[in-house]
Amino acid sequence: MVGVGAIPICLLFAVPLIASLYYALIGAFDSAAWQALFAHPQLWSGLELSIFTGATSAVLALITAIIIVAATYETATWRNLPATMGAMLALPHIALAIGLSLLIMPSGIFARIVANIVGWQTPPNWITTHDPNGLALIAALTIKEAPFLIWIIAGLLNRDDIRQIFNNQRAAATSLGHGGISVWLRLFLPQMMPKLIWPLVIVFIYAATVVDMSLVIGPTQPPTLATVVWADVNSEQVINNARGNVGAIFLSITLALCLGVTYALLKLGAPLFRTFLSSAPSSLSLPNLVGIAKYQMLIWFYLVIVVLLFFISFAQNWSFPNLAPIISVRAWTQIFQNPSALITSVELAISTSLTALVLIILWLEILPEKADRILILLSVALLGLPAILVGLGQYRAFLNFGLTGNMMGLFLAHLMPVTAYMIIVLTSPYRALDQRYSATASSFGKSEIEFLWQIKLPLLKAPIYAALAIGFAVSFSQYIPAQLLAAGRYSTLPIEAVTLTSGTNRPLTAAFALLLLLPPLVAYVISAHFGKSRWSTA
Amino acid sequence: MKISRRSALQLFAASTFVPFAPAFAADWKTIEAEAKGQEVFFNAWAGADNINAYISWAGEEVMKRWGVKLTHVKITDTAEVVKRVRDEVKAGKADGSVDLVWINGANFKAMKSEKLLFGPFAESLPNFALVDVKGKPTTTKDFTETTDGLESPWGMAQFTFFADGAKVANPPRSMIELAAVAKANPGRVTYPAPPDFHGTTFLKQALVETVADKSIFSKPIDQAGFDGAAKPWLAFLDEIKPSLWREGKQYPKSQAEITQMVADGELLIGLTFNPNEPANLVAAGTLPKTTIAWQHTAGTIGNSHFVAIPANAKAKAGAQVVANFLLSAEAQAKKNDLKTWGDPTVLDIAKLSGDDAKMFAASAVPGSVSLPGPAILEPDASFVALIESTWLSHYAAG
Amino acid sequence: MSLQLKNISLVLDGKQFIAPFSLDIAEGEVLTLMGRSGSGKSSLLSYIAGDLPSPFSGEGDVVLNGKTLNNTPPRNRNIGRLFQDDLLFPHMTVGENLLFSLPRGARVEREAMMQAVLTRAELEGFSDRAPHTLSGGQRSRVSLMRSLLAKPEAMLLDEPFNKLDRDLRSTIRDYTFSHLKTCNVPTLLVTHDISDVPVGGRIFEITKSGEVKHV
Repeated sequence: MVGVGAIPICLLFAVPLIASLYYALIGAFDSAAWQALFAHPQLWSGLELSIFTGATSAVLALITAIIIVAATYETATWRNLPATMGAMLALPHIALAIGLSLLIMPSGIFARIVANIVGWQTPPNWITTHDPNGLALIAALTIKEAPFLIWIIAGLLNRDDIRQIFNNQRAAATSLGHGGISVWLRLFLPQMMPKLIWPLVIVFIYAATVVDMSLVIGPTQPPTLATVVWADVNSEQVINNARGNVGAIFLSITLALCLGVTYALLKLGAPLFRTFLSSAPSSLSLPNLVGIAKYQMLIWFYLVIVVLLFFISFAQNWSFPNLAPIISVRAWTQIFQNPSALITSVELAISTSLTALVLIILWLEILPEKADRILILLSVALLGLPAILVGLGQYRAFLNFGLTGNMMGLFLAHLMPVTAYMIIVLTSPYRALDQRYSATASSFGKSEIEFLWQIKLPLLKAPIYAALAIGFAVSFSQYIPAQLLAAGRYSTLPIEAVTLTSGTNRPLTAAFALLLLLPPLVAYVISAHFGKSRWSTA
Repeated sequence: MKISRRSALQLFAASTFVPFAPAFAADWKTIEAEAKGQEVFFNAWAGADNINAYISWAGEEVMKRWGVKLTHVKITDTAEVVKRVRDEVKAGKADGSVDLVWINGANFKAMKSEKLLFGPFAESLPNFALVDVKGKPTTTKDFTETTDGLESPWGMAQFTFFADGAKVANPPRSMIELAAVAKANPGRVTYPAPPDFHGTTFLKQALVETVADKSIFSKPIDQAGFDGAAKPWLAFLDEIKPSLWREGKQYPKSQAEITQMVADGELLIGLTFNPNEPANLVAAGTLPKTTIAWQHTAGTIGNSHFVAIPANAKAKAGAQVVANFLLSAEAQAKKNDLKTWGDPTVLDIAKLSGDDAKMFAASAVPGSVSLPGPAILEPDASFVALIESTWLSHYAAG
Repeated sequence: MSLQLKNISLVLDGKQFIAPFSLDIAEGEVLTLMGRSGSGKSSLLSYIAGDLPSPFSGEGDVVLNGKTLNNTPPRNRNIGRLFQDDLLFPHMTVGENLLFSLPRGARVEREAMMQAVLTRAELEGFSDRAPHTLSGGQRSRVSLMRSLLAKPEAMLLDEPFNKLDRDLRSTIRDYTFSHLKTCNVPTLLVTHDISDVPVGGRIFEITKSGEVKHV
């Protein structure tokens, strides 16, 4: 019986995942490839860029998140914060990168506004996008990851038990003369840190290994190591493919080392931190205005990006420095004449998120709670490993099982990350449901199925719908597996969007970026609607 | 003779890749009959609307006439296709995902040398007789590699520069003159980073113009030979670097990006392999009517592009029917037409009937090449990797 | 009619924490089992109900009205339970909560029975209310009524008055015991508060060493 619940998720998630990791790692035994890697002129500079962009954006996102959370905690804004952040999470990374680059590039909106004021006739020599230090990439990553961290922290602080404890602690600390900064840095943050470590690791690894965003807005000569690896993986030369494989492994090892070193430094620095914890009360407080302003900026930024993409999608001919383009619906007619990429993406997103939900519920219903560790470990491994490494192994593994260039392979490849994210979102609320509800229902003579349908699933509808929305958005943002496994037979929105950014058709690029954003946002709104408690009035 | 089980398996595996071996010997009618109802997955670069529209027109025509379904698989980089076919063949996938691929140069060389291509088939296509093999030697010699009938010519290309004539009144007709323009307008000239195809070609063009002994380009070369010969080339690149866009510290990723920046006015000079592209962009409204296009006085690199059929293609007959249609006077004329694509024909107009020939007549339009130069053959294929790796370690290592 | 516990013992990680004991609870009787928190009171109730969670294990027979229940799944045991919390299903109305426990029957009849129960609980007109809009005392009454509607043959009460306010506590306690009396089922109450014991009821205690002794 126990085995029955595990079979589907093993077959569709665990086995493909383990096979992918296996195929990614066997590429390591190729000394010629390692030699070629270490002879690559862009190896070290690319690695430096990867670590720099990854670490800087993770730290900046954390700081931004804490400032915003501290400023809005228990204010009127606080109640809407998770919902607002959730909506921002629906915006795929590539769409944000495309939007940001259209904003800041030398022929972008900013430059046009300045040009109209100062009277430039040609775009300035700004080094804004594709800058050699990856600052634009860092900005895009920070803006994208901050809402994720805020969402995590808000979820944590909104738990009834924790909220109670924190509020009491804050009252006590304030009465002792501690200001806001002291309360957050010395009381709340150290207590939250254990729960924040994994999200931060995922953010760092993601940022240090992202390919699609880096192609759109990141440095080019040299590019980040992930982009170097990606070029190798797609090369027509066999030796380059092998070099790409060991490159992905090398990048993963180095990032793991970085995390290890950070951990060691934190351990070494612990006494210093203790001193800081036990130092005299400080009444310093960051004016709430700073946090609120940051929060407003974040919201406005996302709104501006969306409006901008919408505007540019109609801007057919748009010579510099004109602010008003010649309007045309050509990009949209083009898309709706051949909507196959949109349809494929929507089909994949719906089918993978629903399948993942069924798989996870089967597992949670039939297997004991201690078994969850295996699933969570696999999920964290998948999300914590560079997507490019997993994607490469996935491609090799699927090729051997005849799963490239067909819908089944594409489905399985999207199902993997979708399931991983949904496992992380769903497991703890599912397991946290009061056992006594089930005892109560069975004392009325109700079967387990009746309990599941009538009590458990309705009670868990908020996390279930949230997990579905996240699964949907995750499926929508898969570039690497789609590109490798679609074998060109199928096109998905991320493939189209990244392909188009290398071309001249800006309206079409903007339209695709918007299309990347809209369905996940719609999914989010629908899930928020259906996930609402029956009694909520708003 | 004793055949081990293993070698028998290998024989079996190998035989699955040539199940259509008799196909090219059969007569054309048989191929057309076999093609009916097949779906041909045409893997072709898809960065431009007009090209995509042309391919979808061709798809409608082959469906109407031969019942062949043509599906355009949109790709960004043909290298991906080479890799995919190789991986599929290695994994024993006989019904491959690629039936027809738009290809030339290094990608063709790789596929040819690794025996990943079906054929020879090109010369047995009925319309191949119309190809101007003599006048356009690149139709059978792809980057110094003989095509051996493994790819069928599709279009012609010659490296061409363009700019807004209102901003660049006297176009530079050589690399030396181009350097002068760059110095006079710091930050307004650049080229795409290799291994982008246009970037590599720009570097080849610079090599061909700066190295005095042109005889080296027709023979294979090794690292030492290249290092010795390429000194003036590096000197030229070093000289131009500080005046380039972003002081030569960064380079655009693609030719299309440069075109966009020229349209925005961020750059002065664009480059293309399609001599008709500037006129096309003028017609589309992307570039101003004052746009001019030119080639270097001493000539610019020219080549042809082709379509090829992978060895493990599923719809080989359908792919041949499509390749043959692409060579027809009608399809070539439409492709040649600036209003659709503007890609020069591989056919010999003199071989065509009067009516067919008339379709190719064109008059000068804004943006068409006003200062032409002769076509120069590509350097030997061994130059490409050396050019790219040398450039990478000199200009892109960070 | 009675609930008999024969030679029941409970084990955790190979260590016995409730030594074998036997008890008979007569119909209509409320027997109280007292013990410190962590003494295994709740585990014992789970064992009787049939859903003792896995590191725990137990031995001994649970006999209800002459039928040994050891291999009967919880939902077929016909044993009602009340916990510290009312555990009304928050996504259902008060009426739906009651109907959920009411055995199958004609729709009109079930509806009528549900309304009658509400009247008896002095909660007329509450059937469409959301549980969270009720006071603590009202919720406790609904919770008790919901359990009784399932027509249990025995009741297990796990400190059901623990979370109630002091003044509400005795009212609800009296209310609960009087209703249990009319239903005439054997009831096992576990608590650590001596004031929860009904007047004249038998009291057993779980000692430190895990023995169940009459007080």
